[in-house]
Amino acid sequence: MMEYDLARIDYILCGITYPGTLKILPNPGHKTQQKFAVGDKNGVLQCLCIKDEEPIVQFKTLPGKPITSIQVASTNGNHIDKIFAASGHEVKGYTRKGKVFLTIETSVSETITSMCILNSDLVLCSGRTVTFYRDLREIYTYACEDRVLDIAAFSTPNSTRVRLLVLVGNKGAAVVENGELLARTQIPSGPTRLIVPPAHRTAELAVFYGASDGSIGLIQYETDLSSTCLVEGGGLGAVVCVGWYFSNGAHLAVGRHDGSVQLYLVDLDNVTEKPRLKFTYFCGEPITSVCGGSVGTEETELLVSTFSGRVFALRSQRLISGGVALNNMTPEALASRRNKLELEVARLEKQTAAEREKYQRNTRSLNAGMSTPPLLEIQYELTGAMLNGWQEVVITAGVPLDMLFIYCNKKLEVQTDSAAVLSVCPPQGKASEILATVRCQAGTRRIWLQMRAAVDCGPEITEGTQVLVYVLPAGAPRIARLIKLSLPALPQYSQHVDPDRADDRVWCELSLSGGFSVAEMTSWLSEALPGELPRPAASITFAREHCLLKTILICRYQRGAAVIKSDNVSTIATLKDLLSYCSLKRAIRVNISCDIPEMCCPMLFKSIKDRFLSEYQRKKEYHLKEAIGALDLDINTINNESEPILCEEYLRVWKSADDTKNKLFFNDLVATVEQWYSDWCKLSLYGRDNSSQKIQLKTALQECQVNDIESILTHNDLQIDSNM
Amino acid sequence: MQMSMVQPVFKLELNHKVSPGIVIIAKYDGTHPCLTASAGYDKIIIHHPYGGISSGRAQRSQAHGEVSELNVSQAVVALAAGPLRPDCTRDMLLIGSPTQILAYDVHDNSDLFFKEAQDGVNVLITGSFGKSNDMLVIVGGNSSVHGLSWEGNEVFWNVVSGRVTSMITFDFDKDGENELVIGCDDFYIRVLKNNQFIMELAETGSVSCLSLITEVRFAYGLVNGTIGIYEEGLRLWRVKSKQKAIALQWSGESLACAWANGRLDWRDGASGRVLRRVQMRAGSAAMLLADYRSLGAPDLVCVSDRGEVLGYPPYHENVGFNATTKKVPSEEDRLAITELLNRKQALMVEMQHYEANAASEDMDDRPVTGMPTNTRLQVAVTSNDDEGCLDLAISTNNETIVRTALVLAEGIFESGETLARHPTINNLRSLVYAPLKPPRDVPIDIHIKALVGYAESEQFHIFELTKHLPRFAMYRTAPSTLSKTKSDNFVTFRITERIQRICIWINQNFLLDEEVEIENEDMKELNMTFLSLRDKSQLNMNFAANGQVKFTTPDIGLAGDLIQSLAIYLNVGDLQV
Repeated sequence: MMEYDLARIDYILCGITYPGTLKILPNPGHKTQQKFAVGDKNGVLQCLCIKDEEPIVQFKTLPGKPITSIQVASTNGNHIDKIFAASGHEVKGYTRKGKVFLTIETSVSETITSMCILNSDLVLCSGRTVTFYRDLREIYTYACEDRVLDIAAFSTPNSTRVRLLVLVGNKGAAVVENGELLARTQIPSGPTRLIVPPAHRTAELAVFYGASDGSIGLIQYETDLSSTCLVEGGGLGAVVCVGWYFSNGAHLAVGRHDGSVQLYLVDLDNVTEKPRLKFTYFCGEPITSVCGGSVGTEETELLVSTFSGRVFALRSQRLISGGVALNNMTPEALASRRNKLELEVARLEKQTAAEREKYQRNTRSLNAGMSTPPLLEIQYELTGAMLNGWQEVVITAGVPLDMLFIYCNKKLEVQTDSAAVLSVCPPQGKASEILATVRCQAGTRRIWLQMRAAVDCGPEITEGTQVLVYVLPAGAPRIARLIKLSLPALPQYSQHVDPDRADDRVWCELSLSGGFSVAEMTSWLSEALPGELPRPAASITFAREHCLLKTILICRYQRGAAVIKSDNVSTIATLKDLLSYCSLKRAIRVNISCDIPEMCCPMLFKSIKDRFLSEYQRKKEYHLKEAIGALDLDINTINNESEPILCEEYLRVWKSADDTKNKLFFNDLVATVEQWYSDWCKLSLYGRDNSSQKIQLKTALQECQVNDIESILTHNDLQIDSNM
Repeated sequence: MQMSMVQPVFKLELNHKVSPGIVIIAKYDGTHPCLTASAGYDKIIIHHPYGGISSGRAQRSQAHGEVSELNVSQAVVALAAGPLRPDCTRDMLLIGSPTQILAYDVHDNSDLFFKEAQDGVNVLITGSFGKSNDMLVIVGGNSSVHGLSWEGNEVFWNVVSGRVTSMITFDFDKDGENELVIGCDDFYIRVLKNNQFIMELAETGSVSCLSLITEVRFAYGLVNGTIGIYEEGLRLWRVKSKQKAIALQWSGESLACAWANGRLDWRDGASGRVLRRVQMRAGSAAMLLADYRSLGAPDLVCVSDRGEVLGYPPYHENVGFNATTKKVPSEEDRLAITELLNRKQALMVEMQHYEANAASEDMDDRPVTGMPTNTRLQVAVTSNDDEGCLDLAISTNNETIVRTALVLAEGIFESGETLARHPTINNLRSLVYAPLKPPRDVPIDIHIKALVGYAESEQFHIFELTKHLPRFAMYRTAPSTLSKTKSDNFVTFRITERIQRICIWINQNFLLDEEVEIENEDMKELNMTFLSLRDKSQLNMNFAANGQVKFTTPDIGLAGDLIQSLAIYLNVGDLQV
């Protein structure tokens, strides 16, 4: 796989960087070495060039609001020579010399997260809105259903109109023109960043995307909008940034959250061709920008920025070892750069030591000052339940981490990176708590935790679970940052679906009426559901799908009234408890009624029946395989075809792939069906006891007696009648 | 640290499963090394790439042409080999089953001896021990070690307090004679010299492997994932992993470690820092040093449990594995620049903290991340009779609260390596108690991390402290009111030592509210009573003026530990009972 041999050359340090805040300035022509611009969280925009691997600052602004997006463009139609930096809700334009020639105070309410510039059009994304400016005048805004992640603008032939391709969080992609939606499509992998092919024909609209599941694909729009996945995620980290790198062909450069930088060779004449992976580099912390250009030498290299603010190049080994003469660079220049840096670090070391001494002296003084360290640079994101039922939080820090301490007042199962040591502490009295520490390997700046509620924590989930994570860095300052995570009561409803899709399902319905506002209902539901909910509006409708069971939850609400529908009776039961608890806590009178159809349990069982049977089979085979394994048979004897010692069936089981990784879901399914039945009884029989059926059901489930299960689920009312 | 792209210098498949830990390399004809391993319950495989074994019990394997199989009709729990016979240099194969040892001459197809092992067989090694230079078979059993001559006669034996899990022989004290270093499942590494234990190293887990490095150093690995190096009885470093170390070998100035999950790493001998890392396709079964290529220098031979064998040459840090990829000076400069920028980045983060402090000096309001600079953390250990434990009191000296206290220590908690205290929001105080119950009487260093701030803080200051718990911390001085219970269980002996030195020993090894002091020079005797926090039993120590010492306790293990500790402190070799 490793076909290219690129090595790292460090250029500069800046502050924490956001995705897409490093850009290489295209060349004005005769001069071949390019400059680059980078903006950081401190609000400093700097433009640099590299001479003999030594960075030379062209200009540098004063600190200000965090810079969240950088674009380079031309303003007069000639060569690209302007730098645009977005911070907060302001966009500033700089010349190559660092002169501000343009400042736009926009009317957007949220921070600008990405922007794009086409001729004299400026498109800004902030929160859920896309704002279109032409000649610095706001032309229109378009509100999307969810967060706008990235955008590309395309000019339409023979027209001044501009088409926008928008990536919308959890929704996929949409094409917008003149404030009108032309087309949209769902992309389940969750695209986060897009990039336009360098020489695209204006007639069609095509972009490459990188997704949060790590995959790479293509979005095209001719008559309708479609997407193709070109490279599967395959356990790689979420894509944070994409860029182009031209060297012996066009390469799509991908920077990921897990710290990897990859180069994929793409065929621009045939964009649907599968890109070929040519190079991977791991740097240990999230990558925020990748772009190719001739920065350090006259040959192309890949410029990379990281979360903590490192900017480095990946350059061909050939250029490095043999290249000293090639770039007219003497080895002495490099040695002098090293010496200079050594001196600087030594000076800084001394200065820090003096300050540290002063700080420690303060700990013994009577008139105390305050120690007020700035907040540790930490980013984290909690996902909804993944396919294995676990919720994941990825914690990224600007400094290496030493330990995490996790506290939750409910029983929780936790797992973490294999490189870290998870240690569950003895309980501190109450048994229903969890205290755990995670000791990180040296140099860890990024770590994930997976969590789920313990199976035996009981069905009475009344509200979301709060998890406290204290993040302890390895070095100075000795400060631990507290992160509060709320695990929703129904984390599996992580998939966004279309609420209007026609589906033949048996719906259970929960109706609420009372003196609640839309904002209140949103906040109550956010205790139950993972991810962001739609912002409060006059009336709201959204739908989610259970990632394992594929059941659907549809919420429709407005001021004073809400209808929640699901084909999963347990979901309705949980929401009923949760919503009544929440309204009680806020002292709001709410009338709750629910309508549970007779047939919901058997219909639900029907929907998972195939899966149930196959899981049962898997469980049986797993036990069989264990038993055969315990016999410690000789592999050669087993494989001896002339004298078989195992029957064909056993041989197949024995040879079947080791899928210990895929946990057995059978027990989970049994518990789910039991829960359905008991919730159905609770909601439709008003607490009447039918424990004998529950026991029968449990036995039938464990022995996989499908007929018995179905009859218990279907005819329960008849049996109760006969009992009366 | 990224996975290394380093390629092995040789690679072969045995086409047999290999039982982890039961693998050796021996020269049955005196010159050619043969990899020998247990391949499941009762089968031994011998790989002989330099020509087959002529005949005998070994059968040619159907799965691999260069492998012979030997069936021994009993479970194979240990293998060893060595030039036992004084009259030839050929290696003899030793096969250990749970209760028997068979010495077999593979080359001649003859049995050397067959011996019942009363105490079981866990580990077999060959080596010389003590004054004799003869090659012995040393058998580690369930509670003893035995030395056997080449004819199967017992040469020595000794009792060990735990199941023997690993052994090596080398000249530990540099007197020209080999000592036996024994790792046990009772968490101790012991050094046996001439039927006397001259050193006991308390560890935090069952010992899984030992490996010689140089005359004065050896490496050890524990079942709980710790590996480390001892030099002359002092631990140089240790690191802990989630995996268990299967084997450790010193190869080319670095310590190679094979982990159970198939990862191999090379570590710096002085610090344990990982230099290189490789992942095998299956779990590790063994890692041995042998000149399997007959080049004159031993390679590292790594065996996976699926029977894959990989060979790596000695690793040298500066040149990597192949001298050809030697770094050019300019590349070294670039790496140094990356390192320097790492350092600069860390220093700048620290400086930002101090700068923020300076900037906030004029502010009156208390920011959410703040804390008075003169906050200090105090830690005290007190005994808690009711709970039968030691209480670690962690407190601040002002109105700040201890949000969380983490106590890190090994081997003293029922689960994991940490104890945590996280009071509920209504119970936040500047004082937090953490109970400690060390299960064994060994000295322990506990590391405390306390997060200090205010109840509503988003960020907390970390205070770190290390506290040393003496060996007999779980025995507290009995109150003077305590009625002396008469006990018949005691041990007496005689020492000739000033009472002042005894006092120092007590002060060092017990946790006392007040140190024992000699009131006047004439005081010649000392009598002290302690209470065990574990079971409330009494311990009385009486040092009489005539040198007679009497320890009264119902716990025979404690009496032994006390004598051992006192004898080491006073440097007493023999005790007069």
